[in-house]
Amino acid sequence: MSHETIFSWVTFIYFASFVLYLFQVVLDKNFWGRTASLFARVGLAAHTLAIFWRWKASYDLGIGHVPLTNLYESLIFFAWTIILIYLILEWRIKSRSAGVCVVPVAFLAMAYASIAPGISDKIEPLIPALQSNWLTSHVVTCFMGYAAFTVAFGCGIIYLVQDAIMGKTEKKTGISGRLPSLTLLDALIYQCATLGFIFLTIGIMTGSIWAHYAWGSYWSWDPKETWSLITWLIYAIMLHSQYVRGWHGKRMALFAFIGFASVLFTYLGVNYLPGLHSYLKS
Amino acid sequence: MSKKTNLLLQFFSSVKLTIVLLILIVLVFILASFLPQHRETAEVVKQLSPNAAKLFLFFGLADLYHSPLFYLLMVLLSFNLIICSLQRLPVSLKQYRASCFPEPSGLFENIPDNRVIFTDKEKAQASPILEACLREKYGNSKKSETERGLLFCVERRRFSIFGVYAVHLGILIMIAGAVAGSLFGFEADVNITEGESIDTVRIAHGKEIRKLDFSVRCDKFTVELYDNGAPKTYRSDLSFIRNNQVESKGALLVNHPLTFADLRFYQMSYGVSPETKAIMTYSDDRQKSAEIALTQGDFFAIPQYNIHAHVLRVEENVMQMGPAVKLQISASGKDFPLWIFQQIDEIAAANPGLFSQVPVFNPGLFKPVVFSLKRLERQYFTGLHIVRDPGVPFVAAGGALMVAGLLIIFLLPHRRIWVKIQESGTKTAIIVAGRSNRHSAGLEKQIAGLRDLIRRKIPS
Repeated sequence: MSHETIFSWVTFIYFASFVLYLFQVVLDKNFWGRTASLFARVGLAAHTLAIFWRWKASYDLGIGHVPLTNLYESLIFFAWTIILIYLILEWRIKSRSAGVCVVPVAFLAMAYASIAPGISDKIEPLIPALQSNWLTSHVVTCFMGYAAFTVAFGCGIIYLVQDAIMGKTEKKTGISGRLPSLTLLDALIYQCATLGFIFLTIGIMTGSIWAHYAWGSYWSWDPKETWSLITWLIYAIMLHSQYVRGWHGKRMALFAFIGFASVLFTYLGVNYLPGLHSYLKS
Repeated sequence: MSKKTNLLLQFFSSVKLTIVLLILIVLVFILASFLPQHRETAEVVKQLSPNAAKLFLFFGLADLYHSPLFYLLMVLLSFNLIICSLQRLPVSLKQYRASCFPEPSGLFENIPDNRVIFTDKEKAQASPILEACLREKYGNSKKSETERGLLFCVERRRFSIFGVYAVHLGILIMIAGAVAGSLFGFEADVNITEGESIDTVRIAHGKEIRKLDFSVRCDKFTVELYDNGAPKTYRSDLSFIRNNQVESKGALLVNHPLTFADLRFYQMSYGVSPETKAIMTYSDDRQKSAEIALTQGDFFAIPQYNIHAHVLRVEENVMQMGPAVKLQISASGKDFPLWIFQQIDEIAAANPGLFSQVPVFNPGLFKPVVFSLKRLERQYFTGLHIVRDPGVPFVAAGGALMVAGLLIIFLLPHRRIWVKIQESGTKTAIIVAGRSNRHSAGLEKQIAGLRDLIRRKIPS
C-alpha cells in the first residue's frame, strides 16, 4: 500500500459520494444524503492521510518538501480544498444539496491527476526556484481561493436549475423542494465568492513577494500572473455590482460561472501559453 | 462649479465607468496573454504584411502592458477611483457619526410574528433583563424612550465603514509604486566569468550602458545537481569592491538575493564560458614551474632560455587524441608551432617514432625545456539580474493596506442591532432587528442568537 493507492481509492470514494448526492436530489431520501456526506468525509480523511504520507515519503527519499510542487500534487491538493470547504459549508447551512455540483469537480481533479498523459506522480526534488518559504503560503492560499470559487460555481449551477424549475411552477415541489432556496443560494454564492476573493488576493500578494525574491520583480506579466489578475478583476466586478448596483440572483450565478471558467484557465489553460509558471515545461 | 467640471466629475464618479474600465482592462489582459509580448515581437511583425505590421505596432499590441492604451486605462481607473472615493467620503463620515436614534425607517417592518418575543412580564420588569442580555452579549448598549416603545441599540465595528477606502487607497499606492519603479528604477542583466569582475551593466530594454561606482567580482560559481540530474543549487560567491577594497562578500543563491548600495542582485542564469582555461607547466633538467592558467591569445615567456610562447588554440579534443594546446614558440629569432597534448605519454607509446615523424607534437622540442598540459578547465560564468526599484516599499505598503481593508470589509462588517420593547395588548413584545454594511447572513445569525438568549432569559 502506498499513498498513490490511497489517492486512487479516494477518487472512487468521491465518485461514489457524487452518485449518492445525485440520488438524494432525485429520490428524496435523507438516507442517500447522509451516506453521500459520510463518503465525502471518509474520503477527505483518507485524502488528508495520503497527503501527509506523501510528505513523509519525500523526506524518506532525502528530498523532503511539502507536496505542492507539481501539477499532480496541485490537483490532489485542489480536490482536497474543494471537499474541505464544501464540507464546512454543508455543516454550516445544514443542507446537502450543493454536493451534487461541487463533489464531481473534486472527483474530476483527482481523476485528471491520475489518468491525464504527461502528469508525473513521482516525487521530484525541488529545483532552486521552488526552494522558498513562500511556496507553501502561495500555493495554499491560491488553492483555497480556487476551491471557494468552485463551491460558488456549484451553488451558481444549482441556483440556475432552481430558478428554471421555480420559473415554471412557482412552488417548491419535487426536486425543487430538495434544493436550497434561491435566497440561501444567493447568499452562499456571495459568501463563497468573497472568501475566494480574499484568498486569491492573499495568494497573488504572496506570489508577488516570492517573485520579488526569486526573480527580482514582483510582477512580470507572466501569463499566469495576468490571468490571476483577470480572475481577480472578474470577482471584483462581481462584488462591486452586488454592493453598488444591487445585482443579485441570476446575474451573480452567471458571474460565479464566468469566474470559475477564468479560474480553470488560470490554473490549467495558461500551461499551454509560454511562461514562468508552466507546469508542463518542466 | 462650472457646468463642464460638473459633467467631468459626474463622468468620473460613476460606478458604471469603473465597471466598463475594469472590463476593458480584462479584455486588454486577455489579448496580451495570447499575443506574443516584447521578446518575440520582431518575429511576429516579420510574418505580417506591412500594413498589418504598422497596425500591430500602432496599437502597441506588441507590448500591451506598456502601450498608451493600457496607460490611458490605468489613468482613467485611478481618477475614477479617487473621485468615487472622495464623493463617497462625506456619506461614510455621516454614517460613521450617525446616531442610533431614531432608528432607520422601516427597520421593524415586515418582521413575522414568530420572530417577535411575547412575554407576560411588564415592560418595566422586562427592560432591565433585556439590557442585561445585551450587556452579556455585546457590552454596553444605548437606549432611547420613544412613543413607540423603549429602544436599545448596540453597535459593533463602526470603523468597517472605512475598509473600502483602505482598499482603494492601497490600490492607488500600488499603482504609484509601479509608476515610481518604472520611472526611477532599472533592470540589467550581466554575465561575470569566474574570477573576473564588472563595473558596467547594460540596462534591459535599452541600449544604455551604466557605470556602477563599485565593481562586482564572481569569486566562484557552483552548480550542484541531484542524483537524477536536476539542478539543486546555483551559487555565486560575490565580492563587492570599491576603491580596490572588498567592502562586502556574500553567497548569492536563487531565492536569496544580495543587496549592495541601492541595488539588488539575483541569481538568474549561468553558463559555460566559450573560453577554456589550459593549465600548463614546463620544466628543464633542474626544476618544474608552477602551474600557469592560459586562455587563447595569452602570452608567456621563459626568460632564462629566451623562449616566448603565444597560445593560439585551446582545444577539448584534437584528432581524437584528447585535449591539446597549440602554441607559437619564438626562440632564437624564429617562430615554430607546437602542439602540447595532455595525454602525450599514451599517444607516444601507441605511435612509436611519433616525435621524429611529427616534431611539432614533441613537448621536449626545445631542449631542455619540456612543456606539459596538466588539464583543461571549463570556466563558468554566472548570470546576474540587477535591479533598482524604489517603488517596491510603496507597492508593499499598498498591498498590505489593501489586504487589511479587504479583511475589515468582509470579515469585520459594521453591524447595528436594535431591540424594541413595547406593550402589545395585554402582553409585552420584544422585537430584534439589525442593519449591516455587508451581506446579511452573518447579521441574521447574530439576531437569531440574541433572540434565543432573550427567550431564555425572559420566558413567555
